[in-house]
Amino acid sequence: MTDDARRPTVPRERWVEFATSRDERLRDELVTEHIGLARRLAHRFANRGEPYDDLVQVGSIALIKAVDRFDPDRGVEFTTYATGTVIGELKRHFRDKGWAVRAPRRIQELYLELGHTIDALSQELGRPPTVPELAESIGVSQDAILEAIEAGQGYRSSSIDAPGQRDETLADRLGANDSEVAMVDERSVLAPALAALPERQQEVVRLRFVEGLTQSEIAARVGISQMHVSRLLAQSLARIRENLAQER
Amino acid sequence: MSDTVALSLPVRSELLVLARITAATMASRADFDIEEIEDLRLAVDELCLSVVGGARSGTVRLEFSVDEATIAITCELDQSGEPDDGDVPGEPDDLSIRLIEALVDEHGRDSANGRRRAWLSKRRSRVEH
Repeated sequence: MTDDARRPTVPRERWVEFATSRDERLRDELVTEHIGLARRLAHRFANRGEPYDDLVQVGSIALIKAVDRFDPDRGVEFTTYATGTVIGELKRHFRDKGWAVRAPRRIQELYLELGHTIDALSQELGRPPTVPELAESIGVSQDAILEAIEAGQGYRSSSIDAPGQRDETLADRLGANDSEVAMVDERSVLAPALAALPERQQEVVRLRFVEGLTQSEIAARVGISQMHVSRLLAQSLARIRENLAQER
Repeated sequence: MSDTVALSLPVRSELLVLARITAATMASRADFDIEEIEDLRLAVDELCLSVVGGARSGTVRLEFSVDEATIAITCELDQSGEPDDGDVPGEPDDLSIRLIEALVDEHGRDSANGRRRAWLSKRRSRVEH
């Protein structure tokens, strides 16, 4: 499976055509061709305390918005424009819903209040507020606001990491080992290859790529070490690739 | 007013929080609005990731500077003191680059003396308060 097969390039002419015709079928095509981007972005936020499926939904809706609003004459690539739109919606989703599992109650409450206050002040000022403005409006210090932002979008994996499992890389933590996510998206192709794996490998692959858990989270869930999870994943993916290659 | 802050961190995922907090604090002091600060926090994660990738050893050097309405951040991975055990960062993830592109005004990357480096800068949109 090549990169090109995953992310087909969309010639500018099609965007120009869509901008004038607003053709439903073309719109569906454009959305479908970029849905992988929305999923990968959702995956990037998957370690932060919100269910992956919800994030995919938020991301997909944002992608549709981006397709509808994209202006090919603005000199920006669609993927750049869409990335901004999808991240914006994901951030909003977190502001409304998410906070770190382990944040102290005081911070959780402040984070929730922060969400409301940002919306209210944005309305009032006609622009997003600054930290000093938020601190004054809520009646807390600027440091507390910064602390709440950090805690509010905290990374879930750190709270579950068992002592001694410090092998997590930055890429693990940020949910960035997703080169195979796009691959597993194509489930119809993969289902037989997956089914051929031993049961435990199937489970680990499912947790990693369908539920979007980190390796450390899978380790905690399955009761094996993170290194073991890493090995199982590597073995599983190698076998899947082999199986797929044989079918060609 | 121009401020520069430098951080030197062992490559450990749990220390990334320090980069985010530093970026957020400096941007806040420079009057960036809350949306811009959130964008910057995400961009710093991706900047570090694009340099460090899957490496498990080495030192990440970050420099944050604020000048008027712009914050600039550079991130460099130094593995010079490490045994040559094949622990390499790997190629930066195209999604990281795309995210940075969407979140900041300018960005770039290079590699010198075997050290990988990436940088970004972001201007605040608000003119004056």
